[in-house]
Amino acid sequence: MTTDHGETPAGTTGAGTADLTLDAKVAEADIPPQIVAQSLGEYFRASWLRVRSGNSGVLPVILAIVIVAVVFEIITPEHAFLRPSNLVYIFGLSTVYMILAIAETIVLLLAEVDLSVGAVALIGGAIAFKLVQQPGPNWPWWAAILAALAICGGFGALQGALTALLRIPSFVVTLGGFLLFSGILIIILGGADSTVSLNTDDPNQNFIYDMVQGLITPVIGWIILAVVVVAAGTSQWLRAAARRRRGLVAPPPGLTVIRIALVAIVGAAVVIICSVNRGSTLKHVTGVPWVIPVVLVVLGAWTLVLQRTRYGRYIYAIGGNPEAARRAGVSLPKIRIWAFALCSATAALGGILLGSFFYGEYSTNTADPGQLVLYTVAAAVIGGVSLFGGRGKAIHGVLGGLLIGGIAYGVSLLNLGSLSTPLTYILPGGVLLIAVLIDVQSRRGAGA
Amino acid sequence: MSEVPVTADPGETPAGTGVGTADLTLDAAAATADVPAELLAQSLGQYFRASWLRVRGGNAGVLPVLLAIVVVAVGFQIANSKFLGAQNLVNLFEQSSIYMLLAIAEIFALLLGEIDLSVGLVMGMSSVVVAELVQPTGADWPWWAAIIAALLASALFGAIQGTLVARLKMPSFIVTLGGLLILEGVAIVVLGGSLVGIGNSHYANETFLYNIFWGSFTPVVSWILLAVVVAAAGTVLWRQAARKHRRGLETAPRSLTAMKIVLTAAAGIVVVALCNVNRAHAGTIEGVPFIIPIVLAVLIASTALLQRTRFGRYVYAIGGNPEAARRAGVRLAVVRTWGFILSALISGIAGVLFASWQVSITTNIIKAANNYVLLAVAAAVIGGTSLFGGRGKTIHGVLGGLVIGAIYNGLYLLGVSSQWIDVVVAAVLIAAAVIDVLSRRGAPGQA
Repeated sequence: MTTDHGETPAGTTGAGTADLTLDAKVAEADIPPQIVAQSLGEYFRASWLRVRSGNSGVLPVILAIVIVAVVFEIITPEHAFLRPSNLVYIFGLSTVYMILAIAETIVLLLAEVDLSVGAVALIGGAIAFKLVQQPGPNWPWWAAILAALAICGGFGALQGALTALLRIPSFVVTLGGFLLFSGILIIILGGADSTVSLNTDDPNQNFIYDMVQGLITPVIGWIILAVVVVAAGTSQWLRAAARRRRGLVAPPPGLTVIRIALVAIVGAAVVIICSVNRGSTLKHVTGVPWVIPVVLVVLGAWTLVLQRTRYGRYIYAIGGNPEAARRAGVSLPKIRIWAFALCSATAALGGILLGSFFYGEYSTNTADPGQLVLYTVAAAVIGGVSLFGGRGKAIHGVLGGLLIGGIAYGVSLLNLGSLSTPLTYILPGGVLLIAVLIDVQSRRGAGA
Repeated sequence: MSEVPVTADPGETPAGTGVGTADLTLDAAAATADVPAELLAQSLGQYFRASWLRVRGGNAGVLPVLLAIVVVAVGFQIANSKFLGAQNLVNLFEQSSIYMLLAIAEIFALLLGEIDLSVGLVMGMSSVVVAELVQPTGADWPWWAAIIAALLASALFGAIQGTLVARLKMPSFIVTLGGLLILEGVAIVVLGGSLVGIGNSHYANETFLYNIFWGSFTPVVSWILLAVVVAAAGTVLWRQAARKHRRGLETAPRSLTAMKIVLTAAAGIVVVALCNVNRAHAGTIEGVPFIIPIVLAVLIASTALLQRTRFGRYVYAIGGNPEAARRAGVRLAVVRTWGFILSALISGIAGVLFASWQVSITTNIIKAANNYVLLAVAAAVIGGTSLFGGRGKTIHGVLGGLVIGAIYNGLYLLGVSSQWIDVVVAAVLIAAAVIDVLSRRGAPGQA
């Protein structure tokens, strides 16, 4: 890579600039533009430089989502794709892919892969649904969910231990795990043809049903949005101010304002969309489904863990260069085992939400664990997570999952008859290939 | 892992072996790169000692999987005396044949240090193509044209995937993942939303396809074929050794060659004798099923390709160290592309068998075909192929496929439900991977 002083944002601190242009590796290791930029204009120029150097972050997947949305809106009969009712449904449909892709991202960041997430997710859902049955164990909903997360986390830790301690490739361990857990799933469900369903008359079981299907009335939706925007805005502003006070590099104030405004606008759009009646004229259905805040909480939690904690930094360190991380004193086995455990626990939550999305019914036909894992890896990679470790964020999984769900639903709207099933395979496959092709080419263009 | 220097250990070296010995003890990398024991040994005794040394050196080859087959066989025989009956053994081999072929296909990718996740669905697509093309109400092609079309379609698909991997440097994991999603759609499109069958005995083309899996040679023909095969194999082995001897090259001891021929003959006789027992509940089904020579032919052809041709050596070279291979003048992109073509082609052959086995193909069967990729990888790893490239032979896929087939078959005989069978296969896969890792760790100088 040639040093390119002409394009360097003026007035940036020496070290940051040199890193950005001289060492593409460092650029790949995610130096946020706000650290090198002192003003809004510089920020955008630094961001553009990063995109050009092959570190385009969420831009391609957002572009893809926009393209998919526009194309389906144009070609679906009666231009139905962007109707509020469909948008809400797409989000519910995508939930399982989003949560599983976040889970998979944790492991992909370590340059490992977990092929068992689909089966583990379904086990998690089956356990939670079984435990709240009445007559049956009749556990409270929170205990059932915790138990599912803990058991699946244990499965993950077991796989992680085989990978981390014995250094058996995670590919093989989780391939075995996939077979193992697909078997255990049927055993837990009690046979290949059994179904577990939630009784919505029981408030305890209804809580799990409501995790996806429940609605927040528009008024409360607005109130929650206002609280979230104010809280997020204040914390962003205070943090930037604190950094500036201490003489640390901080994002330009204009950027902080733009970010807060963006969150508010997106939030308002979501609440407005969800406030439109999507039932019939007789039976009104309005409000924000619970699943949106649930996904946001998972996303927020994982973003915090990955970006703001020592554990998260260690994950990126191992993914970038395991030997360097080891010499820096990071305990590789510990981080790896925890990553697999947390991946499986997160996947279990995805499985519970999947059951809730299917109106509280759980059977071996709910989803095919093999296909689930393929879509999950595809979602993470389409979102922008690297397969080689060290590159990716939780938000990438969410956006990739949304894209996969959007494609799947858009195709089903097209009334193509026998063609619609094949297209739900061909389109995600094609998008996946294009995503990786762009990734590979852009990194090659960067000379990295 | 293999860069660790090895201490010379002359005490354990078989006497009188010169150059070969130095390789074996001085360079563990060479030992892992499969220096055959027959090259080091001048007598039968030395051969066994050299083989034992290789096993101890973490290069156990087919031994662990053979051991696994024996353990599985003895275990199931004790649990159910029907397991080793002639009827069940033939049945078992028939069930395993798909795993075997797919594992051979997967090994072409694994040897290159790549992975092919699409083998299951290439098989699915090939089976749909071959079945659709012989439909008398549709294309009505002759059976051979349908098979060639299915194989060409498979190879073409492999060529596309291989090009993406080799030329555009995209990770094979993702290319074949995207490939299998696309194929699943394509196969359903070709299927046309309904089911297609080849079970109508009024049509000669359908009958022929049906017989590929379900047909057999008559007992007499079976014996004659065995005699021909053993005579041919014996002549080839013997003349090969004699030619090397004449030219003053290192050769295997004569007694070893003789022993190999006798063993081949004995194994063949056992197989034919087993197959010639009547295995029908009513009526007569006897003789060697066609799929045995089919699997053997694929095995021999792929073994010859990998062990005896320049292409094969390049495959191992790339799997061992791509950069070294590149500097030695190997055109990586060409060899890699051909690796994926061969993988898809052999999956296509499996697809013809699959169509014949299933008799009628539906959307659900195409979806089920996807799960075979996991079993194919499992069979290759259980058989002893390394996931890291450069180590493995196609015989490993056949033996690994036999283990998986035996587990499915044996547990099914015991009335175990399919979910528990999956659990057992998973345990065997993980055990195989653990043994692989531990055995390499126990190798001299690699601890």
